[in-house]
Amino acid sequence: MIRFDSLSEARPDSIDKVTGRAVYATDLDIPGMLHGHVVRSTAVHARIRALDVGAARAAPGVVDVLCGADVASLGCWGLVLKDRPILALDKVRYVGEPIAVVIADSAEAAENAAELVEVDYAALPRVPDSKAALAPGAALVHESHSPLEDFYFRGGARPIDGTNVFHRFLSEVGDVAAAEAAAAHVHEDHFSFPPVFHYALEPHTAIADFREDGLTIWSGAQSPAGVQKVVSRLFGLPLAKVRIVVPYVGGGFGGKASVKIEPLVAAASWKVRRPVRIAQSLSDSMLTCRRLGARITIRTAVDREGLILAKSADIVLDGGAYADTGSAVATKAANRIIGPYVIPNLRLEARAVYTNTVPGAAFRSIGGPQAVWAAECHMDNVAAAIGLSPVEFRLRNLAARGQRIRPDLRPLDMDMGELMGLVRQAMGAASAATGPDARGLALAASDPGIVAIGNALVRLKIDGSVLVAMASVEIGQGVHATMARIAAETLNQPFGSVTVLPTDTGTAPFDWGTGASRSTVIVGASVEAAALDAATQMLDLAAEALAQDRTALALVPGGIATPQGFRSFHEVFHLAYGVDSGEVIGRGALNPRSRGGALREAPLFWETAAGMAEIDVDEDTGAIRLRRYASAADVGRVINRVSAEGQDEGASVQGLGHTLFEALEFEDGQPVNASPVDYNIPTLDDVPDDFHTILVEHHDGPGPGGAKGMGEGAILPIAPAIANALFARYGVRVNDLPLTPEKVWRALRARS
Amino acid sequence: MSAAEIDLRFTLNGREVQARVPSHTLLLDLVRERFGLKGSKRSCDMEVCGACTMMLDGNLVSSCTTLAADADGRAVVTVEGLTPAAGLSRVQEALVLHGAVQCGFCTPGFVVAITHLLQQHPNADDEQIRRHLRGNLCRCTGYVKILAAVRSLAGTEPGLQPLAHERT
Ligand code: FES
Ligand code: FES
Repeated sequence: MIRFDSLSEARPDSIDKVTGRAVYATDLDIPGMLHGHVVRSTAVHARIRALDVGAARAAPGVVDVLCGADVASLGCWGLVLKDRPILALDKVRYVGEPIAVVIADSAEAAENAAELVEVDYAALPRVPDSKAALAPGAALVHESHSPLEDFYFRGGARPIDGTNVFHRFLSEVGDVAAAEAAAAHVHEDHFSFPPVFHYALEPHTAIADFREDGLTIWSGAQSPAGVQKVVSRLFGLPLAKVRIVVPYVGGGFGGKASVKIEPLVAAASWKVRRPVRIAQSLSDSMLTCRRLGARITIRTAVDREGLILAKSADIVLDGGAYADTGSAVATKAANRIIGPYVIPNLRLEARAVYTNTVPGAAFRSIGGPQAVWAAECHMDNVAAAIGLSPVEFRLRNLAARGQRIRPDLRPLDMDMGELMGLVRQAMGAASAATGPDARGLALAASDPGIVAIGNALVRLKIDGSVLVAMASVEIGQGVHATMARIAAETLNQPFGSVTVLPTDTGTAPFDWGTGASRSTVIVGASVEAAALDAATQMLDLAAEALAQDRTALALVPGGIATPQGFRSFHEVFHLAYGVDSGEVIGRGALNPRSRGGALREAPLFWETAAGMAEIDVDEDTGAIRLRRYASAADVGRVINRVSAEGQDEGASVQGLGHTLFEALEFEDGQPVNASPVDYNIPTLDDVPDDFHTILVEHHDGPGPGGAKGMGEGAILPIAPAIANALFARYGVRVNDLPLTPEKVWRALRARS
Repeated sequence: MSAAEIDLRFTLNGREVQARVPSHTLLLDLVRERFGLKGSKRSCDMEVCGACTMMLDGNLVSSCTTLAADADGRAVVTVEGLTPAAGLSRVQEALVLHGAVQCGFCTPGFVVAITHLLQQHPNADDEQIRRHLRGNLCRCTGYVKILAAVRSLAGTEPGLQPLAHERT
């Protein structure tokens, strides 16, 4: 069993966490703090005819009530489209949209008074789902579009005027129509993937303190720089006057990425000029964001040998009432539906549309699970249609290391055949209980590692202790310990001598954000460069102070090895500065101009996954049970084995949730199950004993020691692997996730 | 709003304490806000997730749905009470060493629930482990390493006295 050998090697954050000492945004108490409670729309799509907050304002303990009219002059915000008001003013676009914030001296008083707010709605025609959004003559969720260019991502949204389409992406390679005309078989399928809730255990919580001299926000935000940029523009504050502090974050998975409740909390503090805390309930967070649901048509043309000639996909994503980063989700879905295959002709179209439902958001491997669900179920269907085994069909079409799957994407930096072999090997012979057939395979190649802009500072102190300042957020992935390890290795100091500062834009240099599997590579390389810079400065100082040749010196724990023996950092500083004081400050950065522009091509590295599932099906109820599972990923280099494995285990089990039962449901736009009682996630009971997580290392990634990013890929293969097992064993194909007992039972019955 | 106030006396992590609180106060709020012990977390707030798990007279409770009044005259133990003055309890150490901790928001609840499990069943088998811990949700780890950590403890030593177990 793999584990840390001693506590001194283990992640320092995990020691804070097991003792209950770890501080999260929900645990903070800022002196003078008031409490906000958000009043939310109960209407799906409506004009606000009247808003009466008089009774709430007069309620005991209430200090003020923030309304749309108070913030109308601040305008709208967004990441790819400026589509979002801080509070709804004239109309509401989904059930759950913030309409007002009651600010009181206790959370209880605010919550009680919120019930006194009266809203008079005039219903508007609804756009309940993506089909309705695209229907001719559909009502418009937004009357016009204002896209932002190069604001949060490179490029921006490509909306279609006069429609609910807020982004359309099209990629064409070769000539699909001609290839289909010449093909031996053309096979088309339709799939769907529901909206899914992130279910980070810590609900969205933020505290804002708006003062004359600037704004401080404490939030469990994954993208502090994004929050800083958006609120600085909204309130007209210089970036240097906006400080974002991120304590430990109780899970995010993309649900706390970009910007969420921070503008609202900042506006509440701006109104009352005191610190205001909004701690959402988990039910509120279910009305805050969710994964984009998808409807996908996918078509593949193959020749007589089973070689794929062409693939086309039409992907429609339900982006909810506000775009957030849904345009990127759509573009990535189109990239991630290709798979690790050589396909000469492609036509990939993805559209993200507005609907009157909870806004969509990034969620672990954005667009990936939706795309790979369709792509890899479809692969098995095509294989069956042409009489090849799923493994053989894939082997014939796999792209080799170094091959491009699309001309504008970096060549594959891994060997998918190797990963496929590893999961098959790990599963070994089939269990007698399930028979040889109840197994399914799925592969995925996704393009993470976006926005290669990172910075870090590494400070080496006179006593050999080290301070690292960088902006990656400790959200459970162990990134702070990873940065400590990189700094320790580079400076040749003990792991325990490194302290990583809590994430705070006031002390940490710019980084784009924590997501897209980018931190280990982009920020990790920045920390490595900063540590190297500090090492160089230290050695230069020592060479001068000790009158030694620089090449004869080396860093060792606590000091410098010289030909004459050990000299402590104390001694070196003392000699150099005449007093036992000082430090060296190393600076490191990574950006698209680094390494001669080698990081410019997208993706920065490939994130890959192979998964194989073996299932049991109760034919009387349709219930699927995962008996065994294996996943493999090429991660370049493992920096912290148990944490890296834990990332992929967690990703797989999250995927198991959306495979078997998770869906955030809406009926005509009304949320049906937006409560922890009604929305279930996997428990210990759902996870099989036999669970293999394989990490492949070839030390060939762009990060420190050849690391690549990881932690998202493993969510991709599990749903199609399980569905392919069902198909292999019973010959039934369920096209719409989740694979609930009812759907499976119906499919089994229709077959017999 | 002047709700009826009640006086409570109970032991919190082995210490006698008292408090006067509105009668509808929840145990989780009493412990977090009045006594400042913020290790116990509020997540679902509906007795679904186990992040707020405490022991009340040796039984597991969801403190988010337990009235503070129910603690009167009884013994409340939280994650802070299971943490030795120096170092970690066996349960805490096993979770750390197995990498069973990611975001950590579920972790205090797991520490309490696992400690209780091992008090009841020092040699818990997998069935007992699963039955006992199915009320604690974790969205990060996929449970694989939590299970490994608990297995490593079950049966390794008879009984468990986390408060007595100290490590430097
Ligand atoms: S917060 Fe009490 S059980 Fe979830
Ligand atoms: S470690 Fe994040 S919920 Fe368990």
